[in-house]
Amino acid sequence: MGNVPAKESPPNSGGRSRSSTYSGSGGGPFGPNGSSSSARRNTTSSAYHQSGGFLNGIANANDKRSKKTEEKDRLHRKHLLGLIVRYTENVDGGYLAPFGTYKSNLDYNCDIVRGLIMKRRLAPFYTPLQDFDESWTNEELIVILNQLPLHSIETAYSNEEEEDDIDNHKIHKSTNFYRRQEQKAKLKELMLQMKQIQKEEENKYLEIKSSSSVGQRSVELSSNDLLLRLYRNATECPICFLYYPENMNISRCCLQPICTECFVQIKRLDAHPPHDEEHNSRTNNDSEDLPHTLISEPAHCPYCASSEFGVTYEPSLDICTGFGGIKPGKFRSVDESNDDAIASSSTSPSPVSPRKAVKPRRKSSLAINTPGVISIDMIRPDWEAKLASARNKLARKAATASAIHASNLIMNADEDSYSPSDSRRNVGSSALSNVEQRMIEEALRLSLLDEEERRAKERREERK
Amino acid sequence: MAALPKRIIKETERLVSDPVPGITAIPSEENLRYFEVTIEGPSSSPYAEGEFKLELYLPDDYPMCAPKVRFLTRIYHPNIDKLGRICLDVLKDNWSPALQIRTVLLSIQALLGAPNPDDPLANDVAEDWKKDEKRAIEVAREWTAKYAVKS
Ligand SMILES: [Zn+2]
Ligand SMILES: [Zn+2]
Repeated sequence: MGNVPAKESPPNSGGRSRSSTYSGSGGGPFGPNGSSSSARRNTTSSAYHQSGGFLNGIANANDKRSKKTEEKDRLHRKHLLGLIVRYTENVDGGYLAPFGTYKSNLDYNCDIVRGLIMKRRLAPFYTPLQDFDESWTNEELIVILNQLPLHSIETAYSNEEEEDDIDNHKIHKSTNFYRRQEQKAKLKELMLQMKQIQKEEENKYLEIKSSSSVGQRSVELSSNDLLLRLYRNATECPICFLYYPENMNISRCCLQPICTECFVQIKRLDAHPPHDEEHNSRTNNDSEDLPHTLISEPAHCPYCASSEFGVTYEPSLDICTGFGGIKPGKFRSVDESNDDAIASSSTSPSPVSPRKAVKPRRKSSLAINTPGVISIDMIRPDWEAKLASARNKLARKAATASAIHASNLIMNADEDSYSPSDSRRNVGSSALSNVEQRMIEEALRLSLLDEEERRAKERREERK
Repeated sequence: MAALPKRIIKETERLVSDPVPGITAIPSEENLRYFEVTIEGPSSSPYAEGEFKLELYLPDDYPMCAPKVRFLTRIYHPNIDKLGRICLDVLKDNWSPALQIRTVLLSIQALLGAPNPDDPLANDVAEDWKKDEKRAIEVAREWTAKYAVKS
């Protein structure tokens, strides 16, 4: 799917057996542009180094860069810690971090999503059931639920084959190559640490589960009543096909259910030119696109394709456990007879209490700005900054291209000036002043873009 | 290889238990994300009587990303190029994770019934199509008889 500027070839796309046509370095029928963006980046950097002037103050820049990297690393680590599922952090029998059905793209703002779940404005991340059968007895259901892990650790932290670096095939490796290798190693180490932390959480959870089965169940764990109340009528999420407590998030537009784990996967497309006709054979390369025209559209509803996807969530009124409520182990269903049914060894599936205190579900669609509607942009407030940075990146690319173009023009102009004809000399010098004019304009435009990016960043900081 | 997501397992099961008329999709034994597909040409189209082979691959990000689909059988169609790549909005920007393998293959079958030379992928074919539709349809029919022979 070529021609989407500022989009890297996807990581983890290591081909296996017959699928190898689809991945790799861009030769396949599906990736004509493949890794060309990194190739371009390399050209850019060597052009900078050759042009002398840029060498001044490089030490200074390096210092700045390392501070910037440190801050970036710190934020990344904080983000990953926000993705750890901890059984002590629960809301209404669910958790504050995803189960791990999707291993990638967890780039939403953890603080915001955790906050929304604690305020019951978004369904918690419930542990999904892979299968569900209404004919299961309560006892069977409880046994299955108690066997579920906190987190699908092997899916979420699976080690994928490494992406082939374009410089691996070069004799002279660029400094960028070594920087990328260093970053990769750092990332790998970080992911291992996170996997370890999640594993420890899992062990603590197992321990408390096994120790409580002897005597009484720990109040930190969901009571059987809570588990049955949640999962007795489990419903399939239409996107991941996994089973969740029936009270799911509902799309604002077409009232379709979506689990929170799928919801946080829905996102804006990468910034692209306004009339993005991907398929037509554009011969001009994307450096000729005007950077300021790059746009980013709000995500569409996966069900009805309405623009500006958003959901609402109405917590079940009879459940309030974990943050802001009672201990999950203290939950008892309203129907007392149901309680006895669990305690006794009755094997028939007893119907769930008919007196469920569930508010009637919303019957009509809501506008995106209705209070209570959670939009995709709310959980990823950095989209503006990302757009600005994509524009900036494209602008830099364009600047390099026009600098090369300009130097070609200058050389041509020089050649021209040796021509005996006076009129042609005039053409040459006017071309030269044209070039200067263009370079000044370009510099101006770049500084405007920098300013825009800086402001977007400031806005983002203010929101924190 | 990481375990196959439940969604892919269920979609595969449902494709077998409730097949789409005129379409088959069989997962490869060595890679369950790779499907061998056949689509019958719609009866009212120049592709009628033809059986087209395609390959379909579910990338790691599926269903957040569209499946990758490509014709293996040669086909004369303004929205399908020489490499078998297909110009279809749901395979690109209009992909939605609520769509499935089933719906994608149905959309491709519908594209065979309704070529769109104004939104071409194969520019030369599209030009032929716009210049002389009758002739283009004839070529499509010839290619179908020649390459899309039922096995
Ligand atoms: Zn889901
Ligand atoms: Zn909708």
